[in-house]
Amino acid sequence: MKLVDIALKDLVRSFRSAFALVMMFVAPLLLTGIIYFAFGGLGSAKEGFDLPVTRVQVVNLDRPAGSSGDFVAGRILIQFLRSPEMARLLQVAEVGSEAAARAAVERKEADVALILPEGLTAAVVAPTSPVTVTLYHDPALTIGPAILKGVVSQFVDGFAGSRIASNVVASQLGRRGVAVDAAVLEQVGRGYAARIQELGQQQGEGRLAGLDLQLPPGQKPSEERAAMMAGMMVSQIIFFAFYTGAATAETIIREQEEGTLARLSTTPTPAAVILGGKFAGIFITIIVQVIVLLLVSALLFGIHWGEPLSVALVTLGMVVAAAGFGLFVMSLVKNTRQSGAVFGGVLTVSGMMGGLFTTGVQNLPSFYTTVNLFTPHGWALRGWKAVLAGGGMGDALLPALVTLGLGIAFFTVGALLFRKRFS
Amino acid sequence: MGEANAIEVRELAKDFGEIHAVQGIHFDVRAGEIFSLLGPNGAGKTTTISMLSCLLSPTSGDASVMGHSIVREPMAVKEAIGVVPQEVALYPDLSAQENLAFWGKMYGLRGAALRQRVEEVLEVIGLADRQKGRVSKFSGGMKRRLNIGIALLHRPQVIIMDEPTVGIDPQSRRNILDNVGALNREGMTVLYTTHYMEEAQELSDHIAIMDQGKVIAHGTHEELVKIVGELDRIDLSINAEPGAIVEPWRASEGVRQVSVEEGKISLLVHDSNLMLPRLFESANRAGVRITSVEIQEPNLETVFLHLTGRALRD
Repeated sequence: MKLVDIALKDLVRSFRSAFALVMMFVAPLLLTGIIYFAFGGLGSAKEGFDLPVTRVQVVNLDRPAGSSGDFVAGRILIQFLRSPEMARLLQVAEVGSEAAARAAVERKEADVALILPEGLTAAVVAPTSPVTVTLYHDPALTIGPAILKGVVSQFVDGFAGSRIASNVVASQLGRRGVAVDAAVLEQVGRGYAARIQELGQQQGEGRLAGLDLQLPPGQKPSEERAAMMAGMMVSQIIFFAFYTGAATAETIIREQEEGTLARLSTTPTPAAVILGGKFAGIFITIIVQVIVLLLVSALLFGIHWGEPLSVALVTLGMVVAAAGFGLFVMSLVKNTRQSGAVFGGVLTVSGMMGGLFTTGVQNLPSFYTTVNLFTPHGWALRGWKAVLAGGGMGDALLPALVTLGLGIAFFTVGALLFRKRFS
Repeated sequence: MGEANAIEVRELAKDFGEIHAVQGIHFDVRAGEIFSLLGPNGAGKTTTISMLSCLLSPTSGDASVMGHSIVREPMAVKEAIGVVPQEVALYPDLSAQENLAFWGKMYGLRGAALRQRVEEVLEVIGLADRQKGRVSKFSGGMKRRLNIGIALLHRPQVIIMDEPTVGIDPQSRRNILDNVGALNREGMTVLYTTHYMEEAQELSDHIAIMDQGKVIAHGTHEELVKIVGELDRIDLSINAEPGAIVEPWRASEGVRQVSVEEGKISLLVHDSNLMLPRLFESANRAGVRITSVEIQEPNLETVFLHLTGRALRD
């Protein structure tokens, strides 16, 4: 009973500290919320993300080649850039001179100047002399120019295809002893250009089959976003659960400095009950924190946490690990002046090693994912990923047992160190 | 062990590495009395009561509190005692009422008995009207009173107070001393440590004087004062370094002891009326001016000076 009294007293003290409340509840939700807004979650009326429209000034110096007929490569490119699909990303205006376009970028009236050279069509039709398409952009901008570069590259690659086609024809016929003159190659180039023109028109009219991003059956775009938010929220929950574990365990050091720990030892309360009460206080505080974070994040971000029993199992393992780890870290600290720096450093490094700051990064090196498993954070993350992926009790069991075991091991070492210190 | 003794200390010793903090002390505290451990800082008072509170294990020796050995039955000892630590030991973010309720539970009180006792203690320490206030907002005196109140919750047979008046204003000090007297009148045995001679003199039935880990004298106030007999104590200040004048005074007839601490000279003399003119004369010869003189009847300070050659100051 005294154990519960000590735990409840610590719980009340924790929840009366404004700083502790901010770190327990506000910080993880706020950080996830910032990411949520940053990706346009609530900023857009539509589903998906908003990207800023890039203002492009195009200087089309390209002219029809002698034998290209009405095919003008530059015009096709501009036509595509002005298509309805690109309107969400690009705002295209044609200007008469390269100097005017560059000046507009420098005055920040445009984000990118696209200069299509005079011989662009000639290079496509009669691929003998290479030409360069120039992108002149504001160095502070990265996404818009990168998109434009991607689109232009797609077209330039397509035009380069005419050169390849001509070379292939010349090579094949040459091997068979057929002499290929410039007129034949020009004919090949014109044919390729005609095909490009057709493709450009289709793309401009939206008739060309392009990329089709699909979601799993029955899943809406909002659910896809919620799944992404769940990954971020999980790393916040794990990090701040371990933070709370260390911060609540710090009350042992604080009580030592306040003299209340010594006073507790003058009451008829065994040392094991005092330490057990402190641990129970840490455990209950983290449990309350995690439950609140799970519920609030589900409401705010629409996160579906998975099958309840599996969630409970993973939560239990993580909370025991966080409480034990906190007690262990604090057992190494001499006073509260040291504790802030020590547990800040330990939690950051262990969080990094556990993979909490790289949940959104794909294709991490295999040694890094192995390092993750040397930390309780890494196992907690693995458990949550299993649950979020729709896993059941079987999938959650191993990570939960490992975190539970690590938590008990950390608690045992921490408790022994504290007993030694206070004996 | 005698039935009338609440505390019996036998050859109690505590070492911290090479430091012999308490060196085989021996004394008894009778049930229902106020017993003071008097001595300067570092004398071993706090170490002694830490052992009697079962916070520290003795290196050797033993003591009993209400018949229970501090070595073999620490839980029984803890049930019998209430401890008032030297520094305020409270939870600043809890209210006075919440602090008392928590500590009451630690002493095994529950339910209605706990609630009633908390109310009673709040009345005793004069904080009934501030019971909902956070301790962090309390004045130093209020914290001290609450600090004492916690030790009273379970109606202990023995209350151990470690310098409870250090660093507080005179009004709060007076209040605490009155409370100690009142508790004793209710039948509680009080073990009180202090380095203030006046407190020990005012409160105590018996006093043990400690210095450098040893009990150098113990008895009633009258018994202790008799140790110095008819000696008077003269405290002097001079306008020069004391070294030049002290040696001639030490050799003077009628001077029993001379000590110098913090520029102040204390002399134990057989007859202050006879000695004072001689002291002034010798100071004149040495070209030193006496700037203040205070003559004291024999008291505990005189006893300490007599026994140790040092004044009982911080």
